[in-house]
Amino acid sequence: MHRAQRRLLIPAATAAAIALAFTGCSTSNFGGDSGGDGASEEGPIKIGAVLDITGVGANLGVPEQNTLNMLAEQLNEAGGIDGREVELIIKDNQSTEDGAAKATTQLIENDDVDLIIGSSRTGPSLAMRPLVEAAQVPTISVAANAAIVEGSDWVFKTAQNDLVVLERILDDAEAKGYTKVALVRDATGFGEGIADIITELGSERGITLTATESFEPSATDFTAQMTNIRAADADAVIIWGITPSAGLAQAAYVQLGVDKPVYQSHGVANDAFFEAAGPAADGVIAPMGRLLVADQLSDDDPQKAVIDQFIADYTESFDSAPSSFAGHAYDAWLVGTKAIEEAGTDPEALRDAIEATSDVVGISGIFTMTPENHSGLTADALIMALAEGGRWTLYEE
Amino acid sequence: MTDFLQLTVAGLSQGSVYALLAVGLIATYTVRHVVNIAQGDYATLAGLGSISLVTAGVPLPVAILIALVSVTLASVLIERLVISRVKNLTTLVSIILTLGVSTLLQAIMLLVWGAEAKRLPAFPGSDLNLGGVSIRSQELWMLGALVVVGGGVLLFYEKTRWGKALRASAEQPVAARIVGISPAAASIIAFAIAGFVGAAAGVVSSPIYLSIWSGGLLLGLKGFVAAVLGGLVSFRAAIVGALLLGIIESYVAGYVASGWKDAVAFFILIIVLIIRPAGLVLRPNAVRV
Repeated sequence: MHRAQRRLLIPAATAAAIALAFTGCSTSNFGGDSGGDGASEEGPIKIGAVLDITGVGANLGVPEQNTLNMLAEQLNEAGGIDGREVELIIKDNQSTEDGAAKATTQLIENDDVDLIIGSSRTGPSLAMRPLVEAAQVPTISVAANAAIVEGSDWVFKTAQNDLVVLERILDDAEAKGYTKVALVRDATGFGEGIADIITELGSERGITLTATESFEPSATDFTAQMTNIRAADADAVIIWGITPSAGLAQAAYVQLGVDKPVYQSHGVANDAFFEAAGPAADGVIAPMGRLLVADQLSDDDPQKAVIDQFIADYTESFDSAPSSFAGHAYDAWLVGTKAIEEAGTDPEALRDAIEATSDVVGISGIFTMTPENHSGLTADALIMALAEGGRWTLYEE
Repeated sequence: MTDFLQLTVAGLSQGSVYALLAVGLIATYTVRHVVNIAQGDYATLAGLGSISLVTAGVPLPVAILIALVSVTLASVLIERLVISRVKNLTTLVSIILTLGVSTLLQAIMLLVWGAEAKRLPAFPGSDLNLGGVSIRSQELWMLGALVVVGGGVLLFYEKTRWGKALRASAEQPVAARIVGISPAAASIIAFAIAGFVGAAAGVVSSPIYLSIWSGGLLLGLKGFVAAVLGGLVSFRAAIVGALLLGIIESYVAGYVASGWKDAVAFFILIIVLIIRPAGLVLRPNAVRV
């Protein structure tokens, strides 16, 4: 019997290992059109998008995909750009770095795209950067970390920089007299470098970082991290991640009876945060764009008209309100198509046109790009929002 | 000390999910020598199904009941359409087959429910706080489900004539047939139990851990590790092993680094297979029939 057991267990274990490998690379995307004929100034304009449609970034990638599909349809119904149809090719990177690299290569090699939008999160966006730079394809990321665009000639982005988000958080913390903060951050690219920025910005404001914990975006249990945070005895806690994980972390935090105030990042600027955090969301303060508090904006807000129109269009198409991430995609599309209108699809000219973007009113803010600033937004693009009764409300203007 | 107990509570509730999945895996393994990779997908399927029903206005208990019955039937359907069609079913073939089934189920779930994680409303009850250790009422539901459902399956297999007959049909198929036990019926019952137990794990855990189309495989593999601790035949050892696995994962996340958490199970798997391939508690010849 002993030998029989052993005989059965070893193939079983082998296969389990195979199965485990499958969790890392489930369904592959074998999409891709036939070979390209060189970027031409005629025929359809090809815009590629690499988004986190499945996997841990799905809460970001799905609304971004919806937005781009809607905008491409609108644009083509209105006659395209200069009479040329716009062909949108969206690829799913499965929220992985290698998926993003593979999809980007396909877009460049097979589809011969003129412009790339993506990825949804920092890690996959960083994986795309060397590829689009080598191939010289103008690219607009919809992720946050400033490292995506720093020193790059070809990569731009539309989400607010982590630096300005942290500035807003620490300004608020300083005003409230907090001197010690603790950080619970996403373990992937989005959370990379956040502790250093807090230490640096905090030193100017008399705030020290007393503890740092991290979590995988796929995590579902946060007891361990929050137990350590509870022991850190800080005045306030910064949870830096995306939904649903940052929402579940929030729920675990409140569950453990820690009563210190919580700041979250613009990574939770959607309704999915409330779904994940439940009533624990109440009282959270987070800097974010104006989209989610659109109904509370004053009528003379320069972004109000654009935001209201987008909310109306999106809600009509998808029966749900858009998230900030949908807004980042809207902005990338806006900046990209405006530049194509001006400069056509020659890569160098298009790149220069994106870099010359000036005072373009989008959803996340008003964009002005320069050769030094490929992010285009200042701290003005952010408002502070307070989670109250299952929605975001304007906390201070 | 409070922190230590808090981590233990988190580990126990996570472990109860692994334990239910391990019970499901052993239920089919003892009868058909099938390692069912799709076991974890039963959990996500039940979670997502009940969420849709609740969203459509069905009361929570009814939604859960429908999800449990549907997934039980789905598991039987998989047995009839896939498993029973293979003449010489070895364990290895069963793994490859059910890996295919798992991939198919995940693709269906992705198409039907979309890519985003969803949550079932928490079951009724109020959270406890015992000397600074916080216990969510849902965690008590999870442990309760393990006691009732897992314990029920254990008693059924070990104490009832039917349960013994099921195991007999695996150990001595010819003899079992001679005394009137139908191997086909035994197999159907085993898969029904596996489906029910997996679904139970899915619905009780969804309010805390959420349900997402791709979540089943890793969950099922953690259950498999626990089942291996029980030599793939001992329910008791697997349940204890699953709870231990959950607790160790929690300690590793709390005291070492959260990034190591998922590695723990597979590290344990390797160690057990090298040192005690028959499982933790069984002496080599102690398999009861």
